Amino acid sequence: MAIHTPTRRDLLRWTGGGALAGLAAPLLGSCAGAPEEDSGSTSGGDDGGGSGGDFTVYWNAGHAYAAYDKVIAEFEEAHGVTVSFQKYQWDDLRTRLLSDFASGTVPDLVEEPGGWVQEFAISGDAVSLQQYVDSDGAEMGFPDDWQPRTISRNSYEGEVYGIQLHLTCMMLLYNRGMFDSAGVQPPTDWGSFLDVAEKLTGDGVHGFAMNQDDGYGWPWLLQNGVRYYDPDTKGLLVPHDAAAAALQFQADMAHKHGVSPVPTPGTDYSGPQKLLSAGRAAMIITGPWDLLPIAETSPDLDLGIAPALHEAEQSTVQAGTSLFVPAKAKSPDLAWDFIKRITALEVEVAATKEAGMLMPRLSWVQDPVVQENERYAAFAEGFAYAVDTSEKLRLTGKSGEINEQLFQTLYQDVVMNNTPATEALDRFLAAGQKVLAS
Amino acid sequence: MRRGPTMTARIGSYGVLGVVGAITVLPLLYMGALSLQTEAETLSANPVLWPETPQFGNYAELFERAPFGNFIINSIVVTGGITVAHLVFDPLVGYVFAKFRFPLRNTLFIALLTTLMMPLFVRMIPLYVMMSNLGWLNSYQALIVPFLMDAFGIFLMRQFIQPIPDDLIQAARIDGASELRIYARVILPQVKPALAVLGLFTFVFQWNEFLWPLVATTTEDMRTIPVGLTLFNQEYFTLWHLTAAGSVILFVPTVLLFLFSQRYFVRGITLSGLK
Amino acid sequence: MRQLTTGPPRRRRLRGPLAVFAPSLNRRYVLTAYAFLIPAFAFFGLMFYLPIANIITNSFNTGPQANQFAGLENYTRAFEDASVQNSFTVTFIFGAATTIGAIVIGLALALLLNQPLRGRVVFRAALLVPYLTSVAIVGLLWRNILDPQLGILNRLLMDLGLPTQSWLNTHPLATIIAVTLWMTVGYTMVLFLAGLQGIPEQYHEAATVDGASPWQRFWRITLPLLAPTTLFVSVMAVISGLQAFGQAYIITGGGPANATDLYIFHVFNVAFTSRDFGYASALSFLLFIVIVIFTVIQLRVGRRNEVQY
Repeated sequence: MAIHTPTRRDLLRWTGGGALAGLAAPLLGSCAGAPEEDSGSTSGGDDGGGSGGDFTVYWNAGHAYAAYDKVIAEFEEAHGVTVSFQKYQWDDLRTRLLSDFASGTVPDLVEEPGGWVQEFAISGDAVSLQQYVDSDGAEMGFPDDWQPRTISRNSYEGEVYGIQLHLTCMMLLYNRGMFDSAGVQPPTDWGSFLDVAEKLTGDGVHGFAMNQDDGYGWPWLLQNGVRYYDPDTKGLLVPHDAAAAALQFQADMAHKHGVSPVPTPGTDYSGPQKLLSAGRAAMIITGPWDLLPIAETSPDLDLGIAPALHEAEQSTVQAGTSLFVPAKAKSPDLAWDFIKRITALEVEVAATKEAGMLMPRLSWVQDPVVQENERYAAFAEGFAYAVDTSEKLRLTGKSGEINEQLFQTLYQDVVMNNTPATEALDRFLAAGQKVLAS
Repeated sequence: MRRGPTMTARIGSYGVLGVVGAITVLPLLYMGALSLQTEAETLSANPVLWPETPQFGNYAELFERAPFGNFIINSIVVTGGITVAHLVFDPLVGYVFAKFRFPLRNTLFIALLTTLMMPLFVRMIPLYVMMSNLGWLNSYQALIVPFLMDAFGIFLMRQFIQPIPDDLIQAARIDGASELRIYARVILPQVKPALAVLGLFTFVFQWNEFLWPLVATTTEDMRTIPVGLTLFNQEYFTLWHLTAAGSVILFVPTVLLFLFSQRYFVRGITLSGLK
Repeated sequence: MRQLTTGPPRRRRLRGPLAVFAPSLNRRYVLTAYAFLIPAFAFFGLMFYLPIANIITNSFNTGPQANQFAGLENYTRAFEDASVQNSFTVTFIFGAATTIGAIVIGLALALLLNQPLRGRVVFRAALLVPYLTSVAIVGLLWRNILDPQLGILNRLLMDLGLPTQSWLNTHPLATIIAVTLWMTVGYTMVLFLAGLQGIPEQYHEAATVDGASPWQRFWRITLPLLAPTTLFVSVMAVISGLQAFGQAYIITGGGPANATDLYIFHVFNVAFTSRDFGYASALSFLLFIVIVIFTVIQLRVGRRNEVQY
C-alpha cells in the first residue's frame, strides 16, 4: 500500500474506541488467519513487538554466552537500538513464535534448533536472505567458509533462508579407563561394537546406554544406509529392511543382549550422559552438548571420542542451530547485520572457548583453539559425514507429524516395548503414507 | 456436644493419615533437599538424598542470574489482582445462580461451565491477537484481565450458597434490605469457608500458571516466576539445583496462604470448642 | 425453623422459603438476576466465547495459518485417525480413574480429618501441600524420583535390598494416574471438608439418639447432605481430568509408544509441533462436545440429589 490509509490501529487511537474494536478484531481477522498488518507504512507499532528503537531477538536459554553479549553491546552501539534479548526453551520458543506469526507481531531475529528454517520458508513466515547473501556473502565468507552440509538444510527453492549459527553432530563417547582395563579398542562397526559392549557389561555397568529420545536412534539407521524420505519413490525409511534391522539391533541391545538399560520415556536427554559420568555406562552416543556436564560432574573421567561406526556406510546425525528473519520483521537490514556480527570467526572462537560450543565455519576448524582440543577436533571430523536426517522430508511440508509423532512412536515401540521392528515399522509406514498423501 | 472417636478409631485414623501424609510430604522435602545440593550432586547418576554441605548460595544465584526479584513482584501483582477479582465477582454470580429463579437459568449455567471446557492453549492465539490489537501485550492488564472471574469459582460458590436456608433471605427482604445488602450481610458471612477455599485455589492456580504469561509477556522483566524458571534450563539438561530452589520459592507463598486461610475453612470445628 | 429427622429433609416444592419466588414477585427478581449476569456474560463473551467461536471457525480450515477452507475434512479425519482414537481411550481411562480416585480418597480423608483429632491441622496441611505446587514441578519431581536408572527411589530400594521398579516403562498410564492423585486428593479433601462443615451438627446428634450406626449416618445424612460438594468435585474432576496435559508434557512425553498420549497433549502437538491449527481446533471442539455431554449428565443426576432445606 503506497498511500497511507488509516490503519485499524490509527482508527483506534483517533476514536478512542480502541477497546471494543480491538476486542472484535480477532474474530474478523480469523478468516484470514493472521490479521493483515499495517504493512510497515507507519512508524507505529508502539505496542507489542517493540517500538522504533527496539530490536527483538529470540534465543535459546542455554545459548546466552558472554561472547554474544559483547556482540549485542556493539550492535546496539552501532545502530542506536536497544536489543531485547529474549531467552526461551525450544518448546516455549516455538509456542511463542507461532502465536507471534498468528498475530503479526513478530521478533526481528530468531535462533532455531534445526528444521524450522525450511518449514517457515515454505509457510511464508521466514524471509529470503538471498539478496543479502548476494551482496555481502563474499565479504563474510558465506557460503564458502561454511561447512558445505549446512547450506542446503537452510535453503528452499534455491534461496537461502537461514544461516547456520552452531554446528554439532553425534559421536561415540566412551570411558577410556574401562576400555584399557578390559583391553578393548574402540569399535568400528556394529559387530565389534556389540562385542565390546558385551565385554564391558557387568557389575552395575552397562556397555552402552541408549537415549530415550528417538533422535539418538538415527545414527544406527544412517549407518545402515537408511534415508528418511526418498523424493523419487516417495518412500519413507528406505530401504525398509535396513531400517527394521537398525531398529531391531538397538532393541536387542536392551532386551536380548542386556548391554544397555531399557530407556525410560520422558522429556530429558541427559540420562545416558549421567550414566557415563557416573561410571555406570562405558559408551554413549551423543553430541558435544554433553561435554560440559561430563566435565563438571566427573572431571577425572578419561573420556574418549571415537568416529561414527561404519556398517553399510560411516554416518551420523548432524544438528545445530540457525538464524532466520521472520517475514513480517520490521528491519531485516538490521537483522542481517546482526547475523554477520554474531557469525564472525572471532565470535565463534570466543563462544567455543567460553562454552565449548562447536561452529559451522571451515576456518573455525583450523583455529588453534579447536585443533589443540582433542575433543572439539574429534567432533569436527564428523562434520564431513554427518547428515541432516529430515531435510528431504521437511520439504514435503509433512515432517512435523511424521518426525515428531509417528517416528517417536516407532522408536519407543521397538526399543522400549520390544515390539518386533518389522511389525512396528509396517504400522509406521501405513500411517506415514497416509500423512504424505493427505 | 459430639463425642470423640473411640481409641481404636483414633489409632487407625492416625495410622492412615500418617502414611498418606508421609507419601505427600516426603517427595516435597526431597525437592527442598535438591535445592541445597551442588550442581554436580543434582546432575549425578548416583542421586543423594542430602547434600554434603547445604548450598544456600543456590538461592542467591537465582537472583544473580536473572531478574528474579521482578519475577516475584510480577507474580504477586498478577496473582493478587486476579484473586481479589475472583473473590469479588465469583460469589456474586454464584449467588444469582444459587438463589434466583429466572428463565434460561440452567441453560445459562451450562453455558457458563462450557468456558472451562476449552483448554487455554487452544484459546490462546485468538486471545493473544486480541491483546496485541489492544496494545496490551507485556502489561499487567494482559496478564490479569482475561482471568477476572471464572466458572470454577462461580460454580463453587453456587454450590456453597445453595444450602443456605431461603428463610434467611426472605426475612431480610421483608425487612426491606436491598439485594446487594442481603448478599453482603446475609450470604457472604455464611460462606466464609468457601471463600477461603476459593481464594486459596484461585491463588494457587494462577500463581502456577505458565502458558499465558509465557506468551503475553515480551520482555524478561515482565515474566512471572514459573516462566522465569525456564531460564535455568540448558538446551540439553536441567540445572536442577536452581530449578528446585526456584520451585521452593514458588512454593512458599502458597503454603503460607494455606496456613493463613485454613483456619477459616475449618471454622465449624473450632466453633465447637475442640482444637 | 426446620424439623429434625434422621434423614435429610425432603425437597419441598414452592412452599415455605421458595414462596419468595411466587409469580407476583417474579419479575423483580428476574430483572435483578439479569442485572448481575449481564456484565458477567459480557466478560465471558469477550474472553471465552469469542475465542471459542474463532476456534470453531478454524476447525473448518486448514494450512499453517488455518486460512484455507476445508469443509468437514478435519472432522472426518479425526474419526479415522488411529492416534486420536488411542489418545481418547487413554484419556478416558485417565479421566475416570482420577475422578473416582479423587472423590473416594478425598472424601475418606476428609471424614478422617473431620474428627476431633489432635494435630489435625498438621495432617490437613500435609495432605494439601502437593496441590499447592504446579503440575510442572510435580512432574519434574516425580520424573526425577521414578527414573529407573537415575532416580532416588530405586537408589533407596537398592540400599534396602528391595527389588527396583521401572513403572514408567511397565505401567506408564497407572503411574501418571497415581502421580495425579498424589497431587489432587488433598484438594478434593479440602472441598469435602468445607462441605462437611456446612452440615448442621443437629442431624448427626438426632441420628445418634435414634440409634443409627456410623455407617448408616454416613449413607443417610453425610452423603446426601454433601451432594452439592460431591457434584462440584465430580464435575470439575471430569473437566480437568479429560483436559490433563502437564503429566504427559513433563513426565512421559506421551510415551512409551503413545501409552500416555493424553488427548490435550496430542492436540497440543498437532497445534504447535505439526502446526495444524485447523485440525487441532476440530479435535478441541470434539472434546468440548464430549465434556459438555458428561457435564450435562452429571448436573441432571446431581440436581435430582440436591437437597433444599
